[in-house]
Amino acid sequence: MRLLEFESKRIFKAEGIPVPRGEVVSSSREAKQAADSMRLPIILKAQAPVGRRRKSGAVLVAEDLEQVAKTANDMLGMRMDGYVVSRVLVEEYLPAAKELYLSVTIDDAKGKPIVLASSEGGTEIEEVAANSPEKIISQEIDPLSELEQVDARRIASQIGLNADSIPKASDILWRLYQVFAKYDATIAEINPLIITRTDSAYAAGAVLTIDDDALYRHDEISAGILERTQDEIEKEAAKLGIAYVRLEGNIGVIGSGAGLAMTTMDLIRHYGGTPANFLDTGGRITREHIQNCLNIVMKNPKTIAVLANLYGGINPMIEAAHGIAEFVGQKRSLVPMIVKIRGNFEEQAWDILERAGVAIVKTIQTEDAAKLVVELSTKGPL
Amino acid sequence: MTILANRNTRVIVQGITGRTGSVQARLMREYGTRIVAGVTPGKEGQTVEGIPVYDSVENAIQRHPADASIIFVPAPSALNAALQAVEGAIRLIVIVTERIPIHDVLKIRSYVQKAGAIVIGPNTSGIISPDKVKMGIMPGNLFKSGNVGVVTRSATLGYEIAGNLTEAGIGQSTCVGIGGDRVTGVTFVDVLKLFQEDDETHAVVIVGEVGRTVEEEAAEYVKSGKFKKPVAAFIAGRSAPREKRMGHAGAIIESARGTAASKVRALQEAGIPVVERPSEITGILKQIL
Repeated sequence: MRLLEFESKRIFKAEGIPVPRGEVVSSSREAKQAADSMRLPIILKAQAPVGRRRKSGAVLVAEDLEQVAKTANDMLGMRMDGYVVSRVLVEEYLPAAKELYLSVTIDDAKGKPIVLASSEGGTEIEEVAANSPEKIISQEIDPLSELEQVDARRIASQIGLNADSIPKASDILWRLYQVFAKYDATIAEINPLIITRTDSAYAAGAVLTIDDDALYRHDEISAGILERTQDEIEKEAAKLGIAYVRLEGNIGVIGSGAGLAMTTMDLIRHYGGTPANFLDTGGRITREHIQNCLNIVMKNPKTIAVLANLYGGINPMIEAAHGIAEFVGQKRSLVPMIVKIRGNFEEQAWDILERAGVAIVKTIQTEDAAKLVVELSTKGPL
Repeated sequence: MTILANRNTRVIVQGITGRTGSVQARLMREYGTRIVAGVTPGKEGQTVEGIPVYDSVENAIQRHPADASIIFVPAPSALNAALQAVEGAIRLIVIVTERIPIHDVLKIRSYVQKAGAIVIGPNTSGIISPDKVKMGIMPGNLFKSGNVGVVTRSATLGYEIAGNLTEAGIGQSTCVGIGGDRVTGVTFVDVLKLFQEDDETHAVVIVGEVGRTVEEEAAEYVKSGKFKKPVAAFIAGRSAPREKRMGHAGAIIESARGTAASKVRALQEAGIPVVERPSEITGILKQIL
């Protein structure tokens, strides 16, 4: 989960990383009030959990209070990748003698945390990597140890800093690694790290992404942040612990596994249909869980047919079949449905579904089920 | 010959008293796997399907020497369970548990590597060498013994591919699920190296999906000429939108590498045919076997 910038900065500040003076606001009046006690000019940042905000008019500098109010007003309600901006971060704009880049992230291929630092702050690190890779200093860290202070200092001394700012930058880098480890981050990034003309250092831009699977041990984070998902169905799915992504099409998809669900989507497209969603049941199907999945998929008003593609491996298919049969028996199914089940206990599951009058596919090929559901969907709503 | 495990591998089941662990222990034993003991803290002295349960790996292996462990414990306990197995000199650890925090996975991986052991997963279906041994959650009825190695990220998509092969009369030597997470104990390349040394494996199917770069790495490995057996592949997620996490953590496209198109291109450039639909895998294998 990517935190909003003001949430990231709140954590950075608490961990001893200096951030510019600022306040988060949700109206233009509040923006003006906040800026009133600050030194001009002011930088305004629309808060959205997406990258590349500088390029999309989401980061602007205002020279006076009227401009602050107007800019905040323009930003509130802005749509960024489907996310509606409801907060603006109002900060003192710090003139920079230097803009640097610092981050800690995970190198998936190596299976290790990696520290990245560059003299080229303020731009996307991907662009630096593509255009001048020699300007990026990187160091892998053993996940069983941590970033040592001497290493932080060595890295900081390689990115074009003068002797006075090296201790400050290396302390910030060391603390950034502490944040990464303590908060189960997948990305902890400062871009830019501003060095002022008086050699003070500030994290002017901050990104912190927390591992969703570790949120259970960070109540302090999950309790105090704004909701990320704004889509009502996605919100409800998240509460039920269901991996669900809403899409543009009209065929509801349920798969017992992400790869299988994606393949089901691909095949629906292959036969001329369009998926209304991605849904992965995960490995913990119960009667109730499969009914929750069906409910979620049918909540999307665009859904006119559903394909449930299930394998009995870790998931108990007899329970799944009972759940689906009950759902259909209680007339909770709003649209026609096709169920494909294979694997452990497949025959018992087929039997339960057949007795409940559920349309089933018994072949191993998802192609067969996808063809059928596309046919159903092209007949239009019943 | 099989890779990783065989008929004689002595297996302990960590998390054996849980809902999943108890059912899967029975199914593995019925398949012919030598389950020697189970572990659940606080449940020492109990039995599950006749299998004795111990508080710790240490206690279990004192009475029942073991070579391998399969882990079903809840995600918050997985790090400790895996480290216990390594401490107990277990050489092969299969972690079925899903949604383990990635920082814990990094620690497990580093710890296991230092000990010279192998970890399969997490979030994996495990390993099956059909008709010989099953250290995993896959439905045995969809698999049949033969000469094709299968290596997959997704568990259930792996079943679909193996099921297609079985139905077409193409048996499998060993099928390995590397796991669906961003970081896993072994990758496609690691498993290809094992298949290279396995006389019973005549060809390999790679079952990939969007996200990560393990398919691209496998393509580079095959292209370098180090892997000498025919390979075919299927990639899921051609229609998946970018920047959206599709279920498990591995399936998210965050950069240009990691898209279905990039994987298909890399594999094809290495001379690996990539089928568009799962059922087409059987036709390709009949050509290349």
